Amino acid sequence: MKYLDCFRALARQRTDEIVVASAGNSCQAWWAATRDSVGSFYLDASMSLSSMFASGLALARPELKFWAFMGDGAFAMNPGMLMVERQMNLPNLTHFLVSNRVYGATSNAGLPNFKDNDYAAIARGMGLERVFAFSDVAALNRDFPAVKSANAPGHAFVVLEVEQYSDDEQKMEQPPFDGPELKFRFGRHVESRAGCDVFGYRIE
Amino acid sequence: MRTDVTDKNSDTAKRIADELAACGVKLVASLPDNWVMDVINTIEQDKRFVHVPVNREESAIGLCSGAYMGALGSAALMGASGFMTVVYAITKINYTYEIPLFLMATLRGAVGDHHKHHVSNGLYLLPVLDAINMPYKIIDKPDDIGLISRCYKHTRTYARPMAVLFTRDLLRGAH
Repeated sequence: MKYLDCFRALARQRTDEIVVASAGNSCQAWWAATRDSVGSFYLDASMSLSSMFASGLALARPELKFWAFMGDGAFAMNPGMLMVERQMNLPNLTHFLVSNRVYGATSNAGLPNFKDNDYAAIARGMGLERVFAFSDVAALNRDFPAVKSANAPGHAFVVLEVEQYSDDEQKMEQPPFDGPELKFRFGRHVESRAGCDVFGYRIE
Repeated sequence: MRTDVTDKNSDTAKRIADELAACGVKLVASLPDNWVMDVINTIEQDKRFVHVPVNREESAIGLCSGAYMGALGSAALMGASGFMTVVYAITKINYTYEIPLFLMATLRGAVGDHHKHHVSNGLYLLPVLDAINMPYKIIDKPDDIGLISRCYKHTRTYARPMAVLFTRDLLRGAH
């Protein structure tokens, strides 16, 4: 399926989930699909840490739901993250592995072993039980609502098989925020949603 | 004598855990280094903490940074070698977004460390910290464990990362 179509389909199904997007293409696609500047954290170029960042959030705020996007280029850098995720097994976290079989953020550079990588099998091999895969928008529209609404224990790992960006898509706008602005926009949103105090500053 | 050494190490580990709890740390993400095993084991058994053993040190940076954005106090615990692998994650996440991070590491390669494979850490750990303008305090004796709270609070004021470095004398005793 087309990368952008996939993200637009997910954006339509999003209700109150807080999102962490990762470098390059997924940040561009989520920004294009949502223009969300408060409930999404665009973790640019973290080289595989978006789901760990989201896991910290999900652990901290069990009353909220989190989606983490990650390309398979990032996943290739740190697949052992799934061991940590399985161990934490946070029911309020969904990890989307966006599989375009290239390093999308770097001009679709080649990804090692791209033809044979079976991300769902890797996840199952690390003990994950709620593993799903989608390769077309119709299936995503039809079946993802059940995944999303399932009152099941443990976190979900969802593989999205998408086409790599075209040259024109590579030129799409990146979320136009400097780091501190994004931190405060997102943190204030978490504060308002959870009634917590992320940025409390007191002189004692 | 071995029992005495273990008791002393455990007491140091307990004091470190107490100091972390006192400043509001709930999540501790760790990777092992022989010197900090007493600290890791103490935290693992302490109900005041959620201890998450991670697959690599970068994952601890991601976890703790996300925890901060969810208003959960956290600390990353690792060896000096592990720290040397996380420079990009720290500069990308904690400096770019100005997200506080409290990190505890071992001061490997310094006087008292008899392991030759840590010579590189002795040569480069402190220069690397200086190169990325990451402040640090060295904790060399139990009476200085209170620096943990001061440094943790400084990360929240400074809105960037800071480290405390534990010496062998603190964690294992002089030899």
